[in-house]
Order: sequence, then structure tokens, then C-alpha cells
Amino acid sequence: MRAFVMIVICSATLAAQSGPAQVTSQDLLDGLKDPTKWLTNGGEYNGQRHSPLTQITPENVDQLVAQWTFQTGTLGSFQTTPIVIDGVLYVTGFNNNAWAIDARSGRQIWRYRRELPDDLRLCCSAVNRGFAALGDRLFMATLDAHLIALDMRTGSVLFDVELADYRLGYSATVAPLVVKDKVIVGIAGAEYGIRGFIDAFDVQTGKRAWRFYTVAGPGDPGARSWPVGDAYLRGGGSIWVTGTYDPQLNTVFYGTGNPGPDYYSNAREGDNLYTASLVALDADTGQLRWHYQFTPHDVHDWDSTQVPVLADLTINGQPRKVVMFANRNGFFYTIDRVTGKVIVAKPFVTTTWAKEIGTDGRPVLLPGHLPDEDGEKTCPDLGGGTNFMSPSYDPVTRLFFVTARETCATFFAYDQTFKAGEQYTGGATSRPRDQKNFGALRAIDPVTATMKWEFRYPATSAAGVLTTASGLVFAGDGDGNVMAFESRTGKNLWHYQTGFQMRSTAGTTYMVDGRQYLLVPSGTALTAFALPLRRP
Amino acid sequence: MTRTRSMLGLAIVVLACGSARLIGGAPPARQAPPAPNPAVRNPHLGNPASIRAGMALYRIKCADCHGLDASGYRGPDLIAAMAAGATDERLFQTIRKGVPGTDMPAAREFDTPDDDLLMMIAYLRKIGSVAPSENPVGNVENGARVFAAQCASCHRVAGRGGRIGPDLTRIGASRSRAALTREIRTPSEWITPAFETVTVVTKDGQRVRGVKKNEDVFSIQVMDTRERIQGYMKSNLQDIIYDNTSLMPVFDRGRLSDADLNDVVGYLITLRG
Repeated sequence: MRAFVMIVICSATLAAQSGPAQVTSQDLLDGLKDPTKWLTNGGEYNGQRHSPLTQITPENVDQLVAQWTFQTGTLGSFQTTPIVIDGVLYVTGFNNNAWAIDARSGRQIWRYRRELPDDLRLCCSAVNRGFAALGDRLFMATLDAHLIALDMRTGSVLFDVELADYRLGYSATVAPLVVKDKVIVGIAGAEYGIRGFIDAFDVQTGKRAWRFYTVAGPGDPGARSWPVGDAYLRGGGSIWVTGTYDPQLNTVFYGTGNPGPDYYSNAREGDNLYTASLVALDADTGQLRWHYQFTPHDVHDWDSTQVPVLADLTINGQPRKVVMFANRNGFFYTIDRVTGKVIVAKPFVTTTWAKEIGTDGRPVLLPGHLPDEDGEKTCPDLGGGTNFMSPSYDPVTRLFFVTARETCATFFAYDQTFKAGEQYTGGATSRPRDQKNFGALRAIDPVTATMKWEFRYPATSAAGVLTTASGLVFAGDGDGNVMAFESRTGKNLWHYQTGFQMRSTAGTTYMVDGRQYLLVPSGTALTAFALPLRRP
Repeated sequence: MTRTRSMLGLAIVVLACGSARLIGGAPPARQAPPAPNPAVRNPHLGNPASIRAGMALYRIKCADCHGLDASGYRGPDLIAAMAAGATDERLFQTIRKGVPGTDMPAAREFDTPDDDLLMMIAYLRKIGSVAPSENPVGNVENGARVFAAQCASCHRVAGRGGRIGPDLTRIGASRSRAALTREIRTPSEWITPAFETVTVVTKDGQRVRGVKKNEDVFSIQVMDTRERIQGYMKSNLQDIIYDNTSLMPVFDRGRLSDADLNDVVGYLITLRG
């Protein structure tokens, strides 16, 4: 075994010496400036998912043609955002399968398959949301709560470190984020009574550099927001959506998951910091710079695991560094990312649980929305006003685009005995029979937090959004259509029925050989679209 | 979070099959006797604390499909199933193994230990025993005749009958008498998905009325009243009229007497596929 490990390490070293590093820290800072690349989950550190590409335009988008389709040949759907480097796609899939795929032809170059235990504890399917990359390495979080590094050229494992014990309900599905010489990753499992955290590891050695607990414990100022005792050890606060990074502030921003147990209030009186929050951490040390809690003492499973999108806006004539956040609790927030103070916050879907966000930043609660054994109807439902699907921000139109869900549910809560490794939700929800849920693509002005246009879908959707500098928005409905819209007006310009809804993923776009591709993961298929080649 | 347990269950089954194949070869010399069904001796029956815990477990894991009162919603009516003779052992096996080909997942042992299942069954027995007693079954032969005359042009049973309404071959296993009565007297109160009424109007003014089989932003799929299935691109339509009223007529007392209704429901209850 040791000999085998030595061989792997030696060959990796040789490979690393055989050519320049594929991805540098500067490349990550440059983001989408080089249009042949898509190097981080959000395309750029700011999470805007806004491409500078302009070959596909509102005038020609209806000529897009499928160029190839890649089928995983495995069970389960994509929730991934592919990484694109030098004409090769790096893609993660269901059950921790992963592939390197030729971006020109859709043909597989290598495949990685992880041996997983058969007693995984997963609330929500065996998904993965993508790779991070640096040098010749790819980084992936695994369902059995490990972080692994793969050789970009072969898919072989370079290091494999445990984040936590999966048998206690810990798992990992988030796409990691590389910042300088560290790879940042988070843990999931709040439906199993875990204590969430964000970890940073050295990209070379796999040694842990820091850990930030998303559930405050003894010695932390947030500890007073939990009952006396050990409730914090089961306090949830999962991290399963990738954060963003501001190099000037050297700060990473992460949305944190719901407190545990999900619905039963009496088990955890208090605000339950730092769950259902936005946390701003020093990228080098993991120290908390500030936090803002969207939903103090959440009892509706409203993880704040949405993408914190960074931008510089002019508000009341003043330049402001902001973070924009469309939250599962139904409110859209524009927050000062230096101070963590709310600038503006308004509902972007029907919300019945809070009247407004007060001047102190706390929601002004409405009565009758504390789940109990008889059930309380609340809007939105547990899936929320939006969820893990990526939004996009177009700095030209200055519009924020989000897949919105118009939903309500009856929430129940019950006392539940905690047993390590077993589900610990303390409740459930049901859909009222007369409830007609639907979805929509909504364009929001982040300065006023008001909606500028919408395009409705008959069913809710979990597809993300992509914008391009040519004035296009790409989105997906809940029925398998990938669509293009005019950014300013919301006019639908093109659609293609892929056969299965996009979940979590948005389209991504990149250039290869002078052609702009739109890449769409849906179901078990990855389809690349481009404009027809002009024949001489 | 949404749950896709059935998919994971399938993956685990595939893994298990793979292991079995690897282990394969010569059969074991002696086969272990099958484990006794734990529901044969359920220590939780009648225990108030267990019943309360079972209620919580039931509401968390089962109520979405089987209804809060276990009288069936998307899934079958468990009260009726127990009244029809479903034993605790059968309930236990069905929960543990799931029902292949349906939405009913298997309850994995590390997620839902035997004890949890037994507490759920204790709860179901408690609410089952206090459920209102069913009316007399009625005259099944007359019910079948009334069904053939009034219902079979739209509903199919065992391969015979119409297709514009839901197939009722197994309806007795999935609906209570109360639900059947309600759905016959007031069919528009709740319309089964894929049977909602719709009229599409083509650009040349042709009106096609039927039930909506599927729909997305750009297209709609319809079975018309002559049972023709067809899809339409919305860009080629003049209008789509959604109707909250079921195509099924209201069978009020003028159309169906209480006695005949009782007989029809009695007949439907016997339909268990």
C-alpha cells in the first residue's frame, strides 16, 4: 500500500514538473477576463455569474444549436457547475463521480469514482455542486465528509482528508473555494443534529489551517443565543453553497444553514447564532469580522445557503461595497459588506411570517407562524422564496436575477429525542390541498430592492441564472426548459427542452476555438450549445 | 430540502447487488433462519408515550403522502387498509421494504430502526381503532351495474372502460369510503393531477376540450374528450382556457340516489387490483 502511495505521489510530482501550472492565484483573481476559462463556482470571486462574452446576442440567440451531449451513465442528477480550463471541462456528478471532458466534442478524457460507504446519512440526495481548482489540482468535497484533491490530468487522488465522521450525520456537497493557498469547504447535515463549520486547508498538504464553527459554542460571544447546555452541539448551520471572496477586504462571505432541529422551537430557545446568517470571515485566519442573521431563531428550515453576490453600487450618490442576498425566507437584502449593516431589504415573494425588516435589521414578526403539533400555514414553504440555485447580477443593467418560488406550506413541530446519526428535524411540512405553487425568473433592482420584471413558470424551478455582457439572461424552468431572455425587458428569446429540470446549476459559458458555448447540466446530461458554424 | 430518497434507495440496492455478486460462488452451507418479524410482538401497542412518539415519527415520515389522519392523500388510506385486515406484520414489512414501482420508499434501518416502525404502528393502531366505523358496504352487484351505466364511459377498471378519467382498477386500496363519496358528489373539490380540465383554442378557432396531461412554459399536452392525446405549442394557439371544474359531472342526489351512491362506493371499495 505504501509503495502504491509513493508511486502516486512521485507521478504527481513529475506531472507537476512537466508544464506550467494550469491555474494560478492570479487567474482566480482575474475571473472571467480570459473567456476560455470558468475557474470558480460563480465564475468570479464576486459570485456574479456574469460573463463578458458577446458572440451570442439577443439577435442571434434563437439560432443556438446543440453541439454535443454527454451522458453520465449513472443514477442521479447534476447539481454541478463545471470548471473550464484549456478546452477541458471538469465536472462532478452524483455519488461523487467526476469527469474530465473534451469541451469541443463532449468526449470523456478520464473518470473518477469514489468508493462510498453504503450507510451514508444524506437528507437530500447524493449530489455534488462542483470542483475548485488551483495549479494542477482539483478539489472536491465528498458525501462521506472528506475533502479530496485530484490530479487535473488523470483524476488520481493526491490527498484525502476527513472533515468529520459521516456516521454522525455529517456530509459534504458544496463546491470548495480556493483563496490564495487555501481551499475552503463547509460541512452539511443539519437534519441529523450536526454542528456546522467552515474549514480551510492548505492546497498542497491538505493540512487544516482554520475552522469557523457556524454554531457558536462556549467562549464565543454568540453562545448566549443558545440555551445553557449542549444544544449547540446539535445546532445545525450547514454549509452547502459556495461563498464569495473580496480580495480588497481579504474577506470570504458564506451563507449558513438552518438551526437544528429544523422546526421544534423549544429545543433551542434564542437567536441560534450563527445559523441562517451571513458570516464575513478573514480569509487567512477564519476569524469572524461580522455577521448578519437573516432569520433569528429560524423554525422553517430556511437555510441562508444562497450565494452572497458582491458588487459596488452607487446608492444615494455614494459608492457602496455591497453584498446582495435573495434569501430563502422570502426577503431580498442589500447589505454593506464592510460593516454588515442592512441598506435595504424587501420581500421578493409572498411572505406571511414577517411584516418587514426593521431599522435594527431584525425581521418584524407576524403572529401565528410558530410550527406546532397542529400545524401553522406560512409562506414561503420550506423550499423558500429561492434556494441553492445561483442568482446572477448584471453590472450593466444593474439588475439582480433570481429564480423565485411562490409557495406556502403547513409547518408542524414536535419534540423529538436526539439519537446520534439519525434524522433530527423535530417536525415536517405538508402542502395545503388548495395551494397553487409556481415559479418565476425575477429581475430585482438592488438599490431599491424592488422587482423590475418577471417571467412566470407554471411550476417552481431550482435552476440557476447566468447573464452575459451582450444583454442576455439564461435561466431554467421547473420542467426542463433552458431559456434565454433579454436582460432589460425579460422578453423570452429562445428555449430548448432538455428533458429534465436543471437543479442548482445554471448554464455556464466559455470560448473554445473562437466559438462561444453555452453549457447546460440537466438530469444526467451535459449539453453544449453554440451558434452554427458559417460555411465558406 | 427536497428529498430524493427513492433514488438513493435504488443506489443502495444496486451496491448491495454488486456486493452479493462479488461474494458469490458456492452457496452457504447452512442458511440462517429468517429473522422473526418484530411486529409479531409489539411492546409499544397501547403505551401512551410510545404512541405519542409514533405520532411524531408518522407525521415526519408518512403524513405528506398518507395524510395527517392516515386516511390517504397522495398515498393509500391506511385506516381503510387496517380496517380491511392489514396485519401489523404486513404494515411493518411494507414500511421496511417500500413498494417497488410506487413512491413508497424503503425505510432504511440506520435511518429508521425497528423500534421507530413499531411505535408508528402503535400510533396507527390507536387512530385506526377510534376511526368512525364505515357504513354498511351496500349492494356490490347493483354498484357494479350503476358503475357500468354511469361511470365506465370515462373510467377504466381492469382494462375495460374509458380513459378520460383516472383508472380505478385499484381505487379500493387507495381511497376511503368518505373520500370516494366526496369525490363522486363534488368532483371539482379536488381534481387529480393530469385530469384538470382545459380547452385549447387553435389559431383557426378550433376549440379542443379535454384534460391536461402535462404543461410547461411553451407547450401543453391534452387528452381530448374523444381520448385523442396531442401536444400543442403555445405559440401556435390563440388561447388556453383553464377550468377549475372537473370534466366529471356532479353526481348529486338527482343524478345518483343515496342508495345507488352507497352501492357504487361499495363496489369501488372491492377494486383492489
